[in-house]
Amino acid sequence: MAGEPVGLAAKTDNRERVNVVRNRASLSKPSRGLVTSVAAVLAGALAFTAVPAQGATTPGVSDTEIVLGMQLPQTGPASPGYNKVDDAMRAYFDYVNSKGGVYGRKITLVVKDDVYRAGLTVSTASALINKDKVFAMVGSIGTQTHISVIKDINRRGIPDLFVNSGFSGFYTDPKKYPTTFGGLGTYIVEAKILGKYIKENFAKNNVGIVYQTDDFGRNTVEGLATAGVTFTPKKNAATFIAGTQGGGLDAQMQQLKDNNVDVVVVGAVASAFAAAVASANKIGYKPAKWIVISVGADATTFQTILGARGIAPAVSAALLAGTISASHAPSPGEADDEYVKAFKKINDDFNKGPDKRWDNNVLQGMNIAYLTTSALLGAGKDLTRPGIINYVKNNAAKLSSAALAPLGYSDKTHEAYTGFWIGQYDAASVLKPVDSPRKVWTTDSAKGPVTELKYTRPAIAADALPKVG
Amino acid sequence: MDTFLAALFSGTSRGAIYALVALGLVIVWRGAGVVNFAQMGQAMFSTYIASALIQNGNSYWVGFFVALFAGSILGALLDILIMRPLSNKKKTELLSSESMRAAVPVIASLGILGALQALAGIIWAAEERGFPAPAPQEGFSVASSIMPFTSFDLFVISIVAATLVMTTLFFKRTGVGLAMRATALNQEVARLSGIRTNFTRALSWAISGAASSLAGLLITPTSNLSPNTLDLVLIIGFTAAVVGGLDSPAGAVLGGFILGLVISFVTFYLSPEDVFISILGVLLVVLIVKPRGILGGKDARRV
Amino acid sequence: MRDVSSSLKNPSIIRRSLRRTILFVLFILVLGSTFEPYNQAQLAVVLIYFIAVLSVTILTGISGQISLGQGALMAVGGYSTALLMTNYQLSLWLAVPASIVGAGIAGALLGIAAARLSGPYLAGTTLVIALAIPTIANRFMSVFKGDEGLSVDVGYPPAWFTKAFGEPTYEAWQLYVVLPFAAIALFFASNLLLSRTGRMWRSIRDHETAAALTGVNFSRQKIYAFIVASIFAGLSGALYGLRGLVGPSVYPVALSLTLLTAAVLGGIRSIAGAFIGTVIVVFLPDWIDLVLKNFKLSEQVSNFMPALISSLLLILTVVINPAGVAGARHRKH
Repeated sequence: MAGEPVGLAAKTDNRERVNVVRNRASLSKPSRGLVTSVAAVLAGALAFTAVPAQGATTPGVSDTEIVLGMQLPQTGPASPGYNKVDDAMRAYFDYVNSKGGVYGRKITLVVKDDVYRAGLTVSTASALINKDKVFAMVGSIGTQTHISVIKDINRRGIPDLFVNSGFSGFYTDPKKYPTTFGGLGTYIVEAKILGKYIKENFAKNNVGIVYQTDDFGRNTVEGLATAGVTFTPKKNAATFIAGTQGGGLDAQMQQLKDNNVDVVVVGAVASAFAAAVASANKIGYKPAKWIVISVGADATTFQTILGARGIAPAVSAALLAGTISASHAPSPGEADDEYVKAFKKINDDFNKGPDKRWDNNVLQGMNIAYLTTSALLGAGKDLTRPGIINYVKNNAAKLSSAALAPLGYSDKTHEAYTGFWIGQYDAASVLKPVDSPRKVWTTDSAKGPVTELKYTRPAIAADALPKVG
Repeated sequence: MDTFLAALFSGTSRGAIYALVALGLVIVWRGAGVVNFAQMGQAMFSTYIASALIQNGNSYWVGFFVALFAGSILGALLDILIMRPLSNKKKTELLSSESMRAAVPVIASLGILGALQALAGIIWAAEERGFPAPAPQEGFSVASSIMPFTSFDLFVISIVAATLVMTTLFFKRTGVGLAMRATALNQEVARLSGIRTNFTRALSWAISGAASSLAGLLITPTSNLSPNTLDLVLIIGFTAAVVGGLDSPAGAVLGGFILGLVISFVTFYLSPEDVFISILGVLLVVLIVKPRGILGGKDARRV
Repeated sequence: MRDVSSSLKNPSIIRRSLRRTILFVLFILVLGSTFEPYNQAQLAVVLIYFIAVLSVTILTGISGQISLGQGALMAVGGYSTALLMTNYQLSLWLAVPASIVGAGIAGALLGIAAARLSGPYLAGTTLVIALAIPTIANRFMSVFKGDEGLSVDVGYPPAWFTKAFGEPTYEAWQLYVVLPFAAIALFFASNLLLSRTGRMWRSIRDHETAAALTGVNFSRQKIYAFIVASIFAGLSGALYGLRGLVGPSVYPVALSLTLLTAAVLGGIRSIAGAFIGTVIVVFLPDWIDLVLKNFKLSEQVSNFMPALISSLLLILTVVINPAGVAGARHRKH
């Protein structure tokens, strides 16, 4: 660059002049070069990624289309299992589209992979909001990742419907997060209900817990404590870092064995439950009862993992039999349930994902899609963001789904299903209710009591589409 | 006493795995002068091949040996296609600093790791699957209590011991091994003395590839197989190699067992959250006292 | 610091750095005003990563110490800022500068531990640090809030700003918050690279033993390099957290590796290289998306394609031109 002031160089002594010269020689390109290269690259970026300006109507809604957005870990260590949910949702939406869509509009689901990294979630949310211009977010998966974007989504008034997380902090303060609505019962509610069952049936046993140190596990402990089931850390409470169950849970099982725990509660995901059972088996630890939270109770995952380890299906089924769990919906193995039947058929016909085996994840995905369709229908032909938010908030009772409890939305809370039933795995690895007929229990995410819920789930229509009204 | 034994056994069996991973890293380091971050990607990929074969009805041992073979071929290919052009670059003075010489192949191997993980995802999808063990995973019965040590653990440890012996003998006693060490030390001089450096380097990668496949086959029975399963194992294995000394196969094995035991005892006696910080602590303590690892060579510098 | 004082004796360095910085700021402002929101947010990410990649440039490119753990130092900066903002209600304009002190201290500790290490031993140590530091959030949950993390954001523009410039989009405001910090970082980095300290560090990098013979106390200089690099990384980490959350999953090991990748791709020895590398790393997924949209791919393939293509590109770049985009044009440096 020719602009170096000669006067200055002349003023300084020789040594400094040499320095200046050497500096220039050893510099990266002078500022002009820096700017040129920067300009070239950014111009390239601009040319490729510039998005045309949009119209002024409700984003994501046109005469022919409704665009919905979703974020989840599709790849990466946190993805197994969850990456089936979006395929199931899309399958149901494709079915709806094949029947004419919602008031003539086809539903398009745009899915972004955030690899369970909250830093990336902010970017993918920005892409969904600004590039894809989604009408609403539905069924987002991942608690920590959702924490990073929930404030911004709410600030923009974007409906954040049926979030796939049981973290009560999203739902218990609707003034803070007015556009966010749950799609899963909270972990605390479930734990309180399980806790009541434990107190009633295992009061004489030594009950222990193994849990992962994130919101699943900790909220489980909290809920159990509210129900009066408490643990002593390092004695009958064993922990592990979520994601590390791959290394085996020997230490945790040994700790419980040493403390004579004979009923083990598992507050963790399905692969961790399988790891715990395998570890216990290895060290010769045979608790009288396993109790696992709904998120960790997936018979298909359990058998696949143990089965591929060379444990015969008969043996793994025997290991699973008798395990207690809870659910807010029919278990995927209940082949006679009308929703299960209908969803299974749609899954078979329309699911285009790489793995469409029927399990809890697929059932949940279909259910969320069913709920979403129901909400879209209810919000009417004149579809707006405030419109659908209001409809969902005020019509929770009308939004039926496969769940055996109603949605719990009100002005005070946006928790989804506050009802769970208790089940036990039978010899065929199907979760069957412990009470016959099935009893559903309900409570809140605070200190309220657990009471029985009387709810008749509306029947599913013959064409498996939700009906408004 | 029960807990102590459990921690001891658990630490030993995990330690054997880390030892194997560390060994593979040391083989490439000694034979090619490179730290290969892709190693666990290779392991994961070979294990997937074995899994695919087994799920198609072949016996475990067929899958096992095909995986080892595939692992070595993959290793050699990576060297021929990627590492050889990299090291043959004119010695640009970008590579004049030791850190850059270490950094550039690290980046390349990171790229390979990413590519292998993505490929595995494309071919086999990201869901977790189990993987069988050739020996039962139930603890031995001694007297009336069950030891938390399975015949599978025994199998793993014997394999590791055998591999260590073979590797040490190979590097110290065989002509090829000597050639590999010479190549890693100074490629120009080795070539001038008649060593076929390209061949020996590819051979190091092949052997390391087989060793890492072995590690993958031995780890996955106790965990699950998915494209990212072995990420953590790589980091711990690398730490083990560093702790033991990258120049020494025996150091690698020593480092592996040390880390396995540290992790095990910290998990059993403290809490799982303390594990990574403990690993860091061990690493720092060792490197402050011996910057080249416990059994690493003396810190020699040339001007 | 020594570099500032030595360059103060040489005003032409300051003038040059200032010129670059001003041009840079103007350039970003022009770009930012023409971009629509998504790209404005991406540009903000570019600036944030740029600061962190500068830390790699300084540490590895100039002083020759490889670090796979800059992400951990980002975490230190991020948590410091978030704790100051959440517990003491400090505004980000106070919290961010204050938190670089914490990052500098962490860097000093790291530098002292690392001073005797080199090559793969240093790489291994920094890698384990990248892994271990975020787990502290779970270890001391009452302070660091574990997985839930600390929610922080850039807030809203103050009244005087809106009055003077109109209401910016949220993304534009993110850009405007990050820009002054990026500009300051650029200024100091430029000064450093041009100064005598920069030359000293380069000589240590290239001929460590020879440098020792000339009387340069390389241990101390290496530690200084770590401190400076950590300050850059900490600043970047604070700004990164302000996008929405400071939590363990925001600063994974992969982040450290991405920074090193960006530095190598762009050219590890120059500021231009750092910037170019950052742009590539941030925008590459978008570019790949644009290309892939034209093909009908099954979901299994399309989920992993971006990662596959990025990895292959990385391998190709390193094999064909390890000096990176900006490095190809340098003379002996």
